[in-house]
Amino acid sequence: MPERADTKYWTSLAERDASRSSVEDEFPQPLDPTATSVSRRGFLQAAGFSAVAATLASCARAPVEKAIPYLIKPEEVTPGRALWYASTCGGCSAACGVLVKNRDGRPIKLEGNPDHPLSRGGMCAAGQASVLGLYDSRRLKQPLLAGTPTTWADADREVAGRLAAVARDGAVRFLTATLPSPTERSMIGRFLARFPDARHVVYDAVSSSAILDAHLRTHGVRVLPRYRVERAEVIASFDADFLGTWISPVEYAAGWRSGRDLESRPPRCSYHAQLESRLSLSGAKADRRVRAAPHEVGPALERLTVALARVAGVAFRSGDGKVGAEVAAIVDDLALRLWQARGRSLVVCGSQDTDVQVLANLANHLLGSYGATLDIERPSLQRQGSDGDLATLLTELAAGRVAALLVAGCNPVFDLPGGAALAHALGKVPLVVSLAPRLDETARCAGIVCPVGHQLEEWGDAEPVAGVFSLRQPAIEPLGDTRPLVESLALWSGEPRGALELVREHWRSDVFPHQGGEREFEAFWDAAVQRGAVEITPAPSRAGAFRPGSARPLPPSPRPTGLTAVLHAAIAMPTAEHAYNAWLHELPDPVTKVTWDNVAGLSPATAHRLGVAEGDVVRVEADGVALELPAYVQPGQHDDVVAIALGYGAEASRRFADIGPQWLEAGPSVGENGLVGTNAAPLLALADGTLRYERSGVRLSRTGRRRALACTQSHHTLTVPDRLAPGGTDRRPIVEETTVRALAAGPADRLETPEEVKHDLWPEDHPTPGHRWAMVVDLAACTGCSACVVACQVENNIPVVGRDEVRRRRAMHWLRIDRYFSGDEGEVDVAFEPMMCQHCGHAPCETVCPVLATVHSQEGLNQQVYNRCIGTRYCANNCPYKARRFNWFNYAHSDRLADLVLNPDVTVRTRGVMEKCTFCVQRIEEAKIEAKRTGTQVADGVIRPACQQSCPVGAITFGDLNDPTSAVSRAMANPRRFRVLDELNVRPSAGYLAVSRNREEGGYERV
Amino acid sequence: MGSRTATALLVIATAFSIGVLIPKLGDVRLPGIQRGYEPEQPIAFSHRLHGGELAVPCLYCHFGAEPSRHAGIPPANVCMNCHRFVTAPVGAIRAEDEAAAEEKRAPRRVVSSELRKLYDALGLDGELKPATGAHARPIAWVKVHNLPDFVYFDHRPHVAAGVVCQTCHGPVETMERQRQVADLTMGWCVNCHRQVNREGVNGRPVNAAIDCSTCHF
Repeated sequence: MPERADTKYWTSLAERDASRSSVEDEFPQPLDPTATSVSRRGFLQAAGFSAVAATLASCARAPVEKAIPYLIKPEEVTPGRALWYASTCGGCSAACGVLVKNRDGRPIKLEGNPDHPLSRGGMCAAGQASVLGLYDSRRLKQPLLAGTPTTWADADREVAGRLAAVARDGAVRFLTATLPSPTERSMIGRFLARFPDARHVVYDAVSSSAILDAHLRTHGVRVLPRYRVERAEVIASFDADFLGTWISPVEYAAGWRSGRDLESRPPRCSYHAQLESRLSLSGAKADRRVRAAPHEVGPALERLTVALARVAGVAFRSGDGKVGAEVAAIVDDLALRLWQARGRSLVVCGSQDTDVQVLANLANHLLGSYGATLDIERPSLQRQGSDGDLATLLTELAAGRVAALLVAGCNPVFDLPGGAALAHALGKVPLVVSLAPRLDETARCAGIVCPVGHQLEEWGDAEPVAGVFSLRQPAIEPLGDTRPLVESLALWSGEPRGALELVREHWRSDVFPHQGGEREFEAFWDAAVQRGAVEITPAPSRAGAFRPGSARPLPPSPRPTGLTAVLHAAIAMPTAEHAYNAWLHELPDPVTKVTWDNVAGLSPATAHRLGVAEGDVVRVEADGVALELPAYVQPGQHDDVVAIALGYGAEASRRFADIGPQWLEAGPSVGENGLVGTNAAPLLALADGTLRYERSGVRLSRTGRRRALACTQSHHTLTVPDRLAPGGTDRRPIVEETTVRALAAGPADRLETPEEVKHDLWPEDHPTPGHRWAMVVDLAACTGCSACVVACQVENNIPVVGRDEVRRRRAMHWLRIDRYFSGDEGEVDVAFEPMMCQHCGHAPCETVCPVLATVHSQEGLNQQVYNRCIGTRYCANNCPYKARRFNWFNYAHSDRLADLVLNPDVTVRTRGVMEKCTFCVQRIEEAKIEAKRTGTQVADGVIRPACQQSCPVGAITFGDLNDPTSAVSRAMANPRRFRVLDELNVRPSAGYLAVSRNREEGGYERV
Repeated sequence: MGSRTATALLVIATAFSIGVLIPKLGDVRLPGIQRGYEPEQPIAFSHRLHGGELAVPCLYCHFGAEPSRHAGIPPANVCMNCHRFVTAPVGAIRAEDEAAAEEKRAPRRVVSSELRKLYDALGLDGELKPATGAHARPIAWVKVHNLPDFVYFDHRPHVAAGVVCQTCHGPVETMERQRQVADLTMGWCVNCHRQVNREGVNGRPVNAAIDCSTCHF
């Protein structure tokens, strides 16, 4: 058996350094011994009152319930049966394919569409959560004229009148985010064609403009290549978080996963190196990760390009950018690996410096990536923003040269630096029309607001990659008096038509002729509606060959003094567009584990140097811009960096002032500014034609105030502090790790410990004659993206508890993603471990329940019976995996509209009841009943819990262990399989596959 | 009054009370059991007439029981499959026909007062044409068989196993007004599940699960 390395895993620095007191270890929440001073008389009074109240309450007759059938039932609807519609996600411009689950007329869940060629059935957290937006009672329900509600007729008359006034000589500008919809783009073109001086300006809150600009320079076309991560055997990422937040993370994560087949013999696994300044998901999953200061990224890429040019025999003169020795070493090693795998390797770069992106293009050109791992013949359309155009527009606005501005799909007053100045400039524009669904910062500055509906209410389409088209179909009648963007534009262009008609017309003229499958448009259309997506041959690209002279050495840049602020998109809040979404605010960031806040992330060394502790409110200042944020100590981050997430602090989050139970000690979910988090956009800069997400010369000072962070990283931890652990058992088997090399060594080096024969206290009294449900999670695949966490929340009616309750360790997520660090606090290794109820065979929770509210089923499930539970919480105390959640309150269901998103197949739990992961037993029962009804067997793979369904990398396998051919049985037999806390012999039904990194050094590790 | 008299009075009163209460003991039920619940419905629909006398199959109206969790209450368009033609009891129509023949005139359409409510709900006039100014509104029936919100009963496996409707719903074909016959308690459900696991349904072996998560999730 291979040697077990003695790696220590830790969730936080405090835990690793054992700097907490032993009282904190035992009782994480402060104890107040005076709080329990109930007198005997008081206790008896309370008990008597409870008994009488319970008796009286049980005497009441059941309320009369009405059953109201359809008057005329639509033919396809059967009450109680879900209908599924193929559609397109509107959460961001990546435009993944989704299936909308519609129960009794209400869309209640989005699931990934496996037929979609890009997302392949996966989804991200923000996409999963976007269904809540449909039932947002604070969406705009009708147009606004100067801030007061009006009718569409009045709004249209106003727009038409004002446009007519400026039509002759005024400048008309249409400002949008990247619009994935080709129909919307063509309608905007047609609308603007009427005006002599009109332009459509596109920008992205998280911009990739430099990549497009670089391709204009190197290939003569302004395109964003489609990154074919699945074809890459060596991936070098320079500060691009392609697994987390960069451009199209679901597509890239699925591609990254398909390049890592650890089950084949020998394992076929790509090599992924990440050079980055903050700790991103991509860095966490990288086979080799090196910290680099933001100003080092360009020189590092230059060094790589020079090395590649040398081996390729191409002349390229280098600048004199200096990089640290460690960065130089990884770059030299990478150059060799990339070159050896040329044609099957890929360099991605997240920099917003066009010169740096040109170097990335040169590197990819030298490696022969174009046409192989990088496609500019069929480019991606997921980011089309041009920061140069944006800068021109801002200049025009400041000078008062714009007569009419229409804004759709973006929120520039919030997103851009100088938002206040922009708001002021908008005040001087004669006509500002906002087409936003909510009254955001920009819509507040608009004279006329023409609200668009939710993605689930409107017809639409998307073309995320040239030639890949998908349709969006409505799943419900509009809840408010809203109107799709294309309908408004058609009306204002003088040709009023419905969105469906416009989309069909566009598809008939621009999509249908380029496909070869169907002869009739109607048949083609019906197939597209049913399947959700179609692939066609796009028009040939105008991209030329690489222009050899286009790359030039980087100009020497002085080493910046002070800290550099790195502003990044967050997993839980990709843009401020989602700021209304309580699910996303409550989702812990996979790396920091912070909820309901954005933080100023500092490396441990920097925090120590500045004397800043976690939760200290710090002032981040640069050139007259100052933000106040709570500090957070982030291992693995570069010492010169303060990392701040964008998208927080939007007006839409003001509504969360009183979310969560309002009780005596309740705290607000918003900060002192009345918002969730702080907007970091003022630190952005629009320099040299691109939006810069790095700001050097930042000063950081303590304000003396503190803000207790709702950070879940020490909550529900499985680790035991060394001094509390009994002798010899201080290292619990929680995470296992191996390398691809160890796997390749073959069966002789089998990692699996032979199943030890353990003696049981209990007889084998839990036979599972029929099915035996089990789950296996592949930790090598799991990127920590947290789509599963939100999917579980949507599926299982899990309440949002608010910031203060999360801080009190009362977050209700059934599925959490534990994040473990190992190694040095600078160069950390990260392991993500999704943790849910393990459905133990010998479940410790079952033996302690005094009322048998948690018992075992014949199918190996650990059942929680809400109506039996009396809330002793013994089970939660006895759960070694800390997977149980207690309802401390009746969590708010006061918003009747928001309640419509509840899944009618899952009980809404009341106060005083324990709950936990059920392996989505409602889906198991549904599949079993359908099998009974049709007289078949439950086929393997038919039951997919919500977490498995949404996983972009297919890390979760679920099925019947009694079927030896099932996927889960095969996964259980995988040599990488281990069980968490196996020593306890609780026989969990959930298995995990060891983290595997493509490394030379290191062997098999169990910690 | 002496204690002897008091005791005698007490004994008589107790005996009397028991005498009155004993016949009623059968009606004693635990809180939450709605057996015998027979609410008045917005339309006096007769299961005896439709299911018993006319022998309309249960699944004709309650078609959801086979493909869906809910058997469902039929939408009004299902009623109209027949009641487009049948607008009143056959006796009333025949009487009108005879009266019309006697008076040598075309018979008028007879609409019963209960069916009038159905047509009103659909917004139809006396000639079953859409009435001007009327707006259709669904019929709010009173639910008879109520289960708590934490129970997920599913009709599908029961229908698939061949359990007849009357097993749980009682002799519906004899009821003028729908009444809850069974307890619909968990013990009642589980007892039946145990019994059919031993004896089968109509002689066919079945697998009726008695796990909590069969119904509670």
